[in-house]
This record gives sequence, C-alpha cells and structure tokens, in this order.
Amino acid sequence: MTEETHNAPVEPNAVEEPLDLVRLSLDERIYVKLRGDRELRGKLHAYDGHLNMVLGDVEETITVVEINEETYEEVIRTVKRTSEMLFVRGDGVIL
Amino acid sequence: MQQPPQQERSPTEFLSNVIGRPVVVKLNSGVDYRGILSCLDGYMNIALEQTEEWVNGQLKNKYGDAFIRGNNVLYISADKTN
Repeated sequence: MTEETHNAPVEPNAVEEPLDLVRLSLDERIYVKLRGDRELRGKLHAYDGHLNMVLGDVEETITVVEINEETYEEVIRTVKRTSEMLFVRGDGVIL
Repeated sequence: MQQPPQQERSPTEFLSNVIGRPVVVKLNSGVDYRGILSCLDGYMNIALEQTEEWVNGQLKNKYGDAFIRGNNVLYISADKTN
C-alpha cells in the first residue's frame, strides 16, 4: 500500500513576501538595476506590486560599450543623469 | 522500474523546500546570481541574501537583501557547492 502524504500546500508565503522586505527599504537609499544596462541609486519613496517605484534624488547610470572596428577595442563608458523625483515603471526592473 | 521515493512533485513543493538554502538564479539576460534564498513567491520574484553577481568574471557583490523581479528569472537551482 502506498501512503501518499499529500499535504495540501499551506499558504506558500502569506502575502508577497519579497515585497514585504522591499517595504522595509522605504525611505532608504537603494540600488536598482534596470533592463538596458541602466542602474539607479536613489531614495525609495513608494512602490507597488508591479515594482513601479517612485525614487527621490536619483542618479541614473547608463553603461555604453563602444567597439572601435579598426583597432577592435572595446570602450566602456558610463553616462550619468540625475533627477529630483523619478517614476520607474516596474516591468523594466531587474534587481 | 523502480521509482525513486517521491515527495509531492509540484513546483510549490520545490519552492517550500529550497527556501533557506544556497541557490543559483539565472536570468533571461544570462547573468548569474548566487546567494541564500530568503523567500520567493508565485511570480518567481526572489529575495536573496549575500548575493554575488557573476557574468564572465565576478562583477558586483551585494550584501543584505537583493530582490529580483520574477519575469527576468530563467531558473532557480539549489546549489550545494556554494
């Protein structure tokens, strides 16, 4: 006789646990990685379940890799921009 | 044919089992993250501790918590060698 201990999956993690931990970072400076080789450092004012975020006092760093076709060398540059207040759409967020 | 003793097979069970263990998370972009899984949800959003980011060589270290948005995750693998 096979005994199957089928425990009905208990509520996996009450609400949306990783987001509960994001909540602890409210009002703190955070580092956000975005698609398109972009990074943000700023103060987290607000967020939601899509990971849309409002950041204050942010610095955006865009990493650009340029390839010189003659000498075949890669040059990596970064472009920086700053904003007092920035709304970030959640689907671009990686980390 | 012998079947290895199986627990519940659902991904949900895997998720319950893997919390608290060192894992490797690979993203669609090809970047690797190794760390200890704090928690995760049904969307594959992940919270990791002591995360290391690996691309070709080692790039950045993150301490404390790292949150990865689930849509970028290719896989989550339990890593015994960490």
